Amino acid sequence: MLVVAVVMLYPFWVMIYNSLMTEAQFLAGKGFSLGSWKALASVIPVGQEVLSSTIICTASILIILLIGLPAGFAFAKLRFRLSTVVFLAIVSAMMVPLQAILMPEFVNVTKLGLTSGYIGAVLVYSALGTPFSVFLFTTYFRGVPDELIEAGIVDGLGYFGVLWRLVLPIAVPAIATVTVLQFIQIWDDLLVGLLFIQNTSERPITVGLAVLSAGRTTSIPELMAGSLISALPAMVVYLGFQRYLVKGLTMGIDR
Amino acid sequence: MAEITFERVTKIYGDDIRAVDELSLHVAEGEFMVLVGPSGCGKTTALRMLAGLEEISSGTLRIGGNVVNDVLPKDRDVAMVFQNYALYPHMTVGQNMGFALKVRHESKSEIDRKVREAAAILRLTDYLDRRPKALSGGQRQRVAMGRAIVRSPQAFLMDEPLSNLDAQLRVEMRLEIARIQRLLGVATVYVTHDQIEAMTMGDRVAVMRGGQLQQVASPQDLYDHPANEFVAGFMGSPPMNLLRARIASDDGSPVMTLGAQRLAVASRYAQSHELPTGAGAEVVFGIRPEDVDVLSANDAASISTRVERREALGAEILVHLSLLDAEGSSAFVVNDEGAVVSRPTTLVAKMGPRADVTVGDTLAVRFNPDRFHFFDATSGQSLRRVTP
Amino acid sequence: MSSVTLPTPPSRRRLTLSRRRQLAGVVFALPAILLVLGLIAVPIGQAVYYSMTQWDGVTATWIGPSTWSQALHNPTLWTALRNNALLLLSVPFALGLPLGIAVLLHQRVAGWRIFRSIYFLPTAISWVVLGLVAQRFFAYQGTLNSLIHFLGFSHSNTNMLGYESTALSALGITFIFTMIGTNTMLFLTGLATLDTSLEEAARIDGAGRWRIFRSITLPHLRRFIQLAFVMTVIALFSALFSLIFVMTGGGPGYATTTMEFLIYQTGFNQGDFGTAALYGLILFVLTAIVGIVQLRLIGSEE
Repeated sequence: MLVVAVVMLYPFWVMIYNSLMTEAQFLAGKGFSLGSWKALASVIPVGQEVLSSTIICTASILIILLIGLPAGFAFAKLRFRLSTVVFLAIVSAMMVPLQAILMPEFVNVTKLGLTSGYIGAVLVYSALGTPFSVFLFTTYFRGVPDELIEAGIVDGLGYFGVLWRLVLPIAVPAIATVTVLQFIQIWDDLLVGLLFIQNTSERPITVGLAVLSAGRTTSIPELMAGSLISALPAMVVYLGFQRYLVKGLTMGIDR
Repeated sequence: MAEITFERVTKIYGDDIRAVDELSLHVAEGEFMVLVGPSGCGKTTALRMLAGLEEISSGTLRIGGNVVNDVLPKDRDVAMVFQNYALYPHMTVGQNMGFALKVRHESKSEIDRKVREAAAILRLTDYLDRRPKALSGGQRQRVAMGRAIVRSPQAFLMDEPLSNLDAQLRVEMRLEIARIQRLLGVATVYVTHDQIEAMTMGDRVAVMRGGQLQQVASPQDLYDHPANEFVAGFMGSPPMNLLRARIASDDGSPVMTLGAQRLAVASRYAQSHELPTGAGAEVVFGIRPEDVDVLSANDAASISTRVERREALGAEILVHLSLLDAEGSSAFVVNDEGAVVSRPTTLVAKMGPRADVTVGDTLAVRFNPDRFHFFDATSGQSLRRVTP
Repeated sequence: MSSVTLPTPPSRRRLTLSRRRQLAGVVFALPAILLVLGLIAVPIGQAVYYSMTQWDGVTATWIGPSTWSQALHNPTLWTALRNNALLLLSVPFALGLPLGIAVLLHQRVAGWRIFRSIYFLPTAISWVVLGLVAQRFFAYQGTLNSLIHFLGFSHSNTNMLGYESTALSALGITFIFTMIGTNTMLFLTGLATLDTSLEEAARIDGAGRWRIFRSITLPHLRRFIQLAFVMTVIALFSALFSLIFVMTGGGPGYATTTMEFLIYQTGFNQGDFGTAALYGLILFVLTAIVGIVQLRLIGSEE
């Protein structure tokens, strides 16, 4: 157990250790300095990129939730014509890797002029994340007793009212799960940020790091410092939402 | 004004599954009507059609005189108590109860007042700020009722509300519900599979089976004059004994053959019942266990039986008896072709708790001559002539 | 008591509850359907069309199905496919290790909650970051060599990322490392839903630890293993991109170029959108095949 834990923590150790040196010290193999951290900001616009990542993440997750939750409710409880077929179609879309549709996707988005600004990336992330979101919400809502909804109807609510007043409040664990998993996915993603954001000033942090690492005069300690900054938010979100995650995953499994 | 009328209401699923078949039933204002029957008999479906949660395939449903077939649940002004209570988990008891009023945009003070009134009736005042998960089963049930009461609806609809409670609570709540209903005077349709609840709570009881209404009458009527074998066997525990018999009634004094034994039947039954004529006509004879007396010695009007089983219940002993034939051993009834008929000839009788009886004993029993029931051997319908 | 007027305006007569329900269902599901349709389904169709064109992203000249046969003759494509296939070999490890860890964690050893958090942590880090760290690990002056020296093999050095033969393995190892977190979490959840009374009954019947695991635990976990398998393979076919981009850039040569990387390269480095779209389709078919195979192999009650 301990061995594995050590192994798992290794990346952090590397990052922290390596980032606390200057370039020169690193090459020499030893040393301690905060210089690299200071230098980081001058090499890549860290603050800006983190901000970009945040905006993109927040916007995408909002859309994913806004679209996924009602759809999940619809597929779970509101039987309508072809709902099973459509549901299966959406769920199978989960398995489509981005690269498979990358080229047409890229051209479409560019032609619509959505690559300046965050909209293009946000749309793509939303589309990629929606199938999972729908899947999770649907399985979660299947566990809601029909009687609860019927009670709301007899009490006078329409279906929108049921969604807003009854379903939403009890969907919190599912919302948390989707948020955490999608946050990690989107924050850490490289490809979409790389291609669908043309303005360098709007780059997310993952792209910034990748570009940095591909550069010729890369300073490893600076890279490590940047990596830590990138890794931090996702970790924080994960640790914060941990208990919901386990609950949510269970919902997703036993139908 | 709040009476309910089902006129040949039918619910068909798919192409041919008739969950409710031409149900015609009238519930008067303030009446407590119980719908009872085994699972799948259509009682819950009928209730849901009344609530508006199921579409009516054909027939007319009226509430307060108005046709409501296509009216949405919220416009029917009925309140429903669900089997699993269906309380809103994220709201307090008070909010749960006041919810329907809130949806109707009533003023906060009005809502408050009505909720407190209902809470007082149900003794829930101390729990108004609790969440459902902090309540016991019985308390949740009361909240579910409170939710219904607060709305002052035209009718209460209850779907097996007591089936999730333990036995003791059930007895308590039976009285509670009956009391509250009488207090509020609202027409109530109550669905259950428990015939004890039906007997004790209903003003009238509607027995259903396979989607069809078997009989609707007051509990005592149902007990004393069941309309068919099913109702006879369903109401009352232990159930009525139903035995195949042959009857010969040509000369006005009917004689019944049970197995190998014969028994005279009071002649007034020939007038009150449509007994089949002709030699060897078959009939189903019904007698309730409490109307079977165990005698200390044989006499002319007794039947000889053998004890097959005995169940001691504390307050009484139930004995399962089989009829003896001429040779003194148990036999089944055979028909003309000599084939064994499946209807058993064991009957159940009640004896006092101290009765000295063991399996294998021979007992003479006598049937209370005023309490005979006769049913048609093929259709199961009661043969009693109904005076118009 | 409320007054009893129940007006039913003619226009509303047919708007029964079930109609309303269906309407609500469609309305609620529509945005999701549209989004998925427009941004996932449509591009698939487009990819089919464009794969048969000479396309630079701006103009597309129709060529026809001959582009397919042409592409199939490109050795790079086969290298990439081979790489993907080889990497599939890492999947059993990416499933087996987490399974073992999950079982251990499930025994509730002291501090298991902390361990659980720690194990999942690397997953929260982006693939990019992990790739960077992995690069450090495998590099000539990196940690792996330090370890080897430490263990006494002072004269051998590796430069795994520098050699064609070993680069892919390095990639695979990193991949397994990353997947351990998610899969462990998944299996742990699965174990948590297992009814302990089943285990106890088996134990009373005299079954040994291994027997119990094989006959009770494993079948129950089947669904979870399925899900983990699918997720792992999808990650292998798409998320791996970040690792490759950062660790090796596809090299040395084409040693670590997989399909997902090839698509990017062909499209954006070489500007050959048409062929890239074709490769994309191939990748899609591959994923679909894996999905179907998985259904047969591991079984499903769908």
